Amino acid sequence: MAGKQGKDLALSMLRTLPRVALNNIRNNPGANKPSKRGRGQHGGDKHGAGNKGSGQRQNFMRTGYETGNNPFYLRFSYEPYYKGHHLRREYPPLSLQQLQMFIDTNRLDPSKPIDLVSIINTGLYDFRIEWKHAGVHLTDEGVDNFKAKVNIEVQWASEPVIAAIEKNGGTITTAYYDIHCLHVIKDVDRFFTTGVPIPRRLLPPSDCLEYYMSAETRGYLANPEEISRERLVLSQKYGYELPKIEDNPNYEMLTQRKDPRQLFYGLEPGWVVSLKDKAILKPTADYLKEFYSS
Amino acid sequence: MLTLRNIVTKLQIHSKQVTYCTKAIVEQTSPIISKRSYEDENYFYQRPREVWLENIDTVERKKLGLVFLHPDVYAASPRIDIIQENIRWQRMYRFVCYAHTKIRSEVRGGGRKPWPQKGLGRARHSSIRSPLWRGGGVVHGPRSPTTHFYMLPFYTRVVGLTSTLSVKLAQDDLYIINDLEIPSNEPSYVEELIEKRHWGPSVLFVDTDDVMPINITEATDTIKHVNLMPVYGLNVYSMLKHNTLVLTERAARLIEDKILYHLHRPDSHKLMSKFKLNQ
Repeated sequence: MAGKQGKDLALSMLRTLPRVALNNIRNNPGANKPSKRGRGQHGGDKHGAGNKGSGQRQNFMRTGYETGNNPFYLRFSYEPYYKGHHLRREYPPLSLQQLQMFIDTNRLDPSKPIDLVSIINTGLYDFRIEWKHAGVHLTDEGVDNFKAKVNIEVQWASEPVIAAIEKNGGTITTAYYDIHCLHVIKDVDRFFTTGVPIPRRLLPPSDCLEYYMSAETRGYLANPEEISRERLVLSQKYGYELPKIEDNPNYEMLTQRKDPRQLFYGLEPGWVVSLKDKAILKPTADYLKEFYSS
Repeated sequence: MLTLRNIVTKLQIHSKQVTYCTKAIVEQTSPIISKRSYEDENYFYQRPREVWLENIDTVERKKLGLVFLHPDVYAASPRIDIIQENIRWQRMYRFVCYAHTKIRSEVRGGGRKPWPQKGLGRARHSSIRSPLWRGGGVVHGPRSPTTHFYMLPFYTRVVGLTSTLSVKLAQDDLYIINDLEIPSNEPSYVEELIEKRHWGPSVLFVDTDDVMPINITEATDTIKHVNLMPVYGLNVYSMLKHNTLVLTERAARLIEDKILYHLHRPDSHKLMSKFKLNQ
């Protein structure tokens, strides 16, 4: 028993104790809260409510009432700090440290492009559309420990994050998904059971159109030539030598991009995926093809 | 050494002719070491648990080998409180209380006012079935049927299993056997086996499938305190109800697989979300 700690100690103590059986187990003391209050001498008296007054009678004043003072919550005029807050998109953060952990623990496969779908499918990224979540904000926490070479698509990224990924020889894109697409991405399995065609991705709204068209932020609507120039500019700004992705054996994977109308790699908008029949149904009518084309 | 080698080579040549002495050779074969590699084996805080692999095809105990088991499943923290919560849940979720009392409207009679409101000098009453009356209705009495169904949070159930398995192993009440084959279908054989091995009166045999070998099925059929159970039926109550838990090796591995999957599954928050008390 000497030297044993924690679980091992507890288990070794059990060896000398009587057999754990139905008749000799009980819950922790105090685990069960009694549903009735004591009467008479058994905890009767005040029942923990104290002596006299609003505490005993539970006739508390209304919240914020200051017994006649001008209440604090009415003392100042209204200022709309949160005006439109319920409409604004939120990008829950994902740090580079977490991303590296996902890769190290086989939650993400760096040999394939990483996008919002694969990040949500790890099950470790809390994504709630009802909270106006709109995608991943990749943050620079753990930037020094980030070693992976990835082709990643996020919704928001800062300059040091872009530099960290490109320094390792990876590529990054920022892309926008509208709310309807996010509902599809959130639970892909469930969506495929509905039998609805994959929707086409809408273009970004005016408030973030500039972000997604800019080459500095690696927007998905930016000119690829400008992006390659900006990659060089950023490498000079941060003082690292830009690895040539053309020489990389994974060149095709690293340069793989989704179409601006596309949701999933390998699947086009308008297609219906049947998991049950393991079949893909594609639209044949001309007006459908025209509708879904980018 | 030389003679042994001679015997072995002879046996290899004439293996069919000397079947009567091959049994002795079988017993000399190297012991079975059942070891598995786990993804987290480099990060174990505790040592893997080592359990003898035994037989039940003879009454005498033979050690066939050694089984190494994952400490997260078979050496988990012995949470007696969680075991108790599991036991209470298993008792309560199927319990329907049929205790019943009648309220004042259900008790026969009592429609008439027993005496006038005023003028008699007696207390005012409206019904002889009022709860104040002897033979009247009962207030807040038990009403049948009252269900006591509730669900224990998923991981409380999982930890209940690991705790119970660990407690059983720590108290030498868990044995691992190679399979459930026994030579006879007589109940006396099983009784003798249990007596000889000091397995206590009640024993639970667990295998992967629900179709068990015919001999042990027939032999245990009439013994009420010796039971057979497939892995999918394994539960905390049955493990504690029986003195000894006997797992086949493949059942022990299947239990290990299933519990490890649940302990490490990435969508665990989805399972637990419905048990959240707030948010």
